[in-house]
Amino acid sequence: MAYQLADFPFLTTLLLCCVAGLLAILCIPARHVRAIKIVSAVFSGLTLVISIYLFMAYDQQAGGFQFVEQVAWIPALGIAYFNGVDGLALPMLLLTGIVFFTAVLTCWELELRVKEFFALIFLLVTGVFGLFMSLDLFFIFVWFDVSLFPMYLLIAIWGSTRKEYGAMKLTLYLLAGSALILPAIVYLVVHSGAMTFDLLALMEGTRFTPAQQRVAFFMLYIGFGILAGVFPFHTWSPVGHVAAPTAVSMIHAGVLMKIGAFGILRVGMFLCPEGWQYWAPLMAVLATCGIVYGVFVGLSQTDLKYVIGYSSVSHMGIVGLGLSTMTIDGLNGAVFQMFAHGIMTALFFSSVGYIYDRTHTKAITELGGLSRIMPRAASFFIIAALTGIGVPCLASFWGELAVFMSCVRVYPVAGVAAIFALAVGALFMLRVVQKTCYGPPLEKFSGLKDITAALAVPRVILVSVIVLFGLFPGLLFDMIHTATLHLIGLR
Amino acid sequence: MNWTLLTPELTLLLAAALFLVTACLKPDPRRDFQLALTMAAFTVAAGVACTTMSGDLFNHVYRVDLFSQVFKTLLAIGFFLVIALCDDFRGVAPNHHGEGYFLLAVCTLSMMMLASAVHLLAIVLALELSSYSLYILVFLRRDNRWGMVAGLRYFLVGASASAIMLFGLALIYGVTGALHIDMLIQRLPAMMGHPMAVTGLLLTLAGFFFKLAVFPFHFWAPEAYQGAPNQVAAFIAAVSKVAAVAILLRMISMAQGNSDLLARGLIAMAVVSMTVGNLAAIAQRDFKRLMAFSSVAHAGYLLLGMLCMTPAGYAAAMFYGTAVLIMKYTCFMVMTRVADDGRNLQIDELAGLHRRSPLLALALMMALFSLAGIPPTIGFAGKLMIFVAAMQKGYLVLVLIAMANVVISLYYYLLVLKAAYLDEPTQPPPVINLTIPARLVAVAMIALIVGFGFYPTALLDLVQAAVLRLP
Repeated sequence: MAYQLADFPFLTTLLLCCVAGLLAILCIPARHVRAIKIVSAVFSGLTLVISIYLFMAYDQQAGGFQFVEQVAWIPALGIAYFNGVDGLALPMLLLTGIVFFTAVLTCWELELRVKEFFALIFLLVTGVFGLFMSLDLFFIFVWFDVSLFPMYLLIAIWGSTRKEYGAMKLTLYLLAGSALILPAIVYLVVHSGAMTFDLLALMEGTRFTPAQQRVAFFMLYIGFGILAGVFPFHTWSPVGHVAAPTAVSMIHAGVLMKIGAFGILRVGMFLCPEGWQYWAPLMAVLATCGIVYGVFVGLSQTDLKYVIGYSSVSHMGIVGLGLSTMTIDGLNGAVFQMFAHGIMTALFFSSVGYIYDRTHTKAITELGGLSRIMPRAASFFIIAALTGIGVPCLASFWGELAVFMSCVRVYPVAGVAAIFALAVGALFMLRVVQKTCYGPPLEKFSGLKDITAALAVPRVILVSVIVLFGLFPGLLFDMIHTATLHLIGLR
Repeated sequence: MNWTLLTPELTLLLAAALFLVTACLKPDPRRDFQLALTMAAFTVAAGVACTTMSGDLFNHVYRVDLFSQVFKTLLAIGFFLVIALCDDFRGVAPNHHGEGYFLLAVCTLSMMMLASAVHLLAIVLALELSSYSLYILVFLRRDNRWGMVAGLRYFLVGASASAIMLFGLALIYGVTGALHIDMLIQRLPAMMGHPMAVTGLLLTLAGFFFKLAVFPFHFWAPEAYQGAPNQVAAFIAAVSKVAAVAILLRMISMAQGNSDLLARGLIAMAVVSMTVGNLAAIAQRDFKRLMAFSSVAHAGYLLLGMLCMTPAGYAAAMFYGTAVLIMKYTCFMVMTRVADDGRNLQIDELAGLHRRSPLLALALMMALFSLAGIPPTIGFAGKLMIFVAAMQKGYLVLVLIAMANVVISLYYYLLVLKAAYLDEPTQPPPVINLTIPARLVAVAMIALIVGFGFYPTALLDLVQAAVLRLP
């Protein structure tokens, strides 16, 4: 595949921003809480600026991989530091930049072990950025694990509700996933005969036999799929989301779960198109199960965070369904949905986090009338809920539309079942909104303050992104299209 | 004869002689420690200086080549690091410090000889010398309630392993009529279809499996670790494994890869070792016992590299041996510093470590992640190489089993990490004040773990060049 080398190493700069932020935080004494927060905000803001610049500067006419950097790393094993971005990676970088920056702002009020918290968040995000831009299988795996292992401490130290259990479950599940990914990667590298971890060289230069592709794709699909919340390996996700502190939930549901889907796409589908074809029906079935299951289990939850956790499972099911159609529309929709769901779920968790910090409860039955007590906080929550339902002119709508349009053609039964389930889910989500935000204001919450202007900034950013891409979906679709066109052409 | 080839060994011999003298003088822990540290530093320097030398000594019984010299340098570094931990040698009574250093030096010396010996009798001699010094070292514990049981069990298992090994050697000699490795390399591969040759080789390996704590020769490990003084346990866990890897590579490479029978035997042992080690480690509450079972599991991973019987596999095993040295040492360093009165450390006692000493907590975290094989650490780089080598031989299922084991091991490593980072002690223990050198060692260990994880090329090139000396 054609690629253009970078004039200036923007991608490395992006990574270095995270590393520099991490080092700067480590150098500040722990008692200077405010300085740590400001440094975090500055460096995360820088990453956002760079990712926006990359998104704008990408030449859509030319397509392919751009801003490519390549340096030999471990020549003996054919490993190179090889970065590049295409129409799939750029939306993910942008998403990471937005969610990272807003998450840092969201936890402005944090007081417990602040230094370690931000250091771990920076470490995690370094891994996420690295994974989205890497074109070398070794580094993809390294970044994958770098982004996972801070999660254990982040949840177990700063979390709530059964945090140690949630943290351990999440870590073990996700690392069980990586226990399949590493053998799959090594399997592909060794069987290519070329002894290189270079993704593009493997894609162009070698032709794996169908049997090899099936084995490898299955391992990659399950391995990355665990992180993407693929049914029936999703059970870590609601538990983990509920236990995690707000900012971590935002990053985790918003960005980390996308890594799973992105990994299937980048490694599995790029290298094993025939394996993809072979397993696509299974993917469709599991994705549909995930959608239906997520909706109906979500119905019976009484904890707000569990509701969002299960809605994540069903929304990631839509992504999986899109990937399984093997059509351009389906893929475009899936990637669009990854982006939209990331932003939406970040908004969801950040508004619930605010509500929980004030009311100290996440139980739907104990909440009510919030729109009178804290109208701004409630409105952010309502916008997130509407986006989740898929209301037109908000970002998620376009992703779901594209996925379902192609899905109904390819897998009619699965498509109809999923749409039906989502309709039920929408009704339910509206019930949740009604119970928590409307009705008479409760006496016990009457003294609570609404979101201040400073704390509203991150939420406003998220809402404006949702509206922007809801009104102008072409901004994103055109970008994604440049990559999916080529990917489907491969088959 | 070119005596300069023996510089590292002679330095150690001189050190041992000096310790023997100081052991007879009035005990003075400070003086003994400084002398030991100086001599260990000289040994490292000698090891590094002689890395590229090569030659044959003592009628071709003793071979100096890149393979042996790299291992000697590693052993010297390990010896130095363990001595560096002895500034607080409180597990051993002050009047026994001299003997302790003497035995450590002799043990390291014999392990160096093990790396160079190419005649079966020389190998047996070196192995026995190192084992006997370790038996006594385990007994040196001041509170020898633990030491007695541990030392006795260690001795009994070790003596049985030696006996088995001697029997194996007799079988090999019976089949091939040779004792020199060069002769065996010529004659053995042709005989590898012969059950007696395979049995002989497997039984011979038993002696070295005992050192590496491979199932079923691992029963001594938990008691010996628990009963030994902490520094000695660090030596057994980190340094002696390097020597075991060296000699196992020499022995296994004799078969030159054309033995399915041998490979199958090794596969079974590797799989059982990893699984037994990891499952047993879950139940441990004592830090050293946990490390002992994790050693058993790591022996399985190491064996996985060796049983590929390809240069890539040997290089991977050698790399991973180095990784084990660094990771295990770091864990024991943290433990020795936390249990500064020389007691056995329970995992619960790590509670609040992140506040008592952030540096030690960080070092422990990196070492544990490295043991669990999470990138970017040296442990991950080593596992990746082992898996690549195994996959090249088509062992997909073996790799999957190993990865499943990695996930199991992660569980108990996370429990240790949880104790260090999350649990709050009932009454806050004092802050751990580290001396400047101790801090430097800790920082160096973290740098090595992460540095070789991100950029293993330098070490990788070295081990790949070294294993070319094997047949």
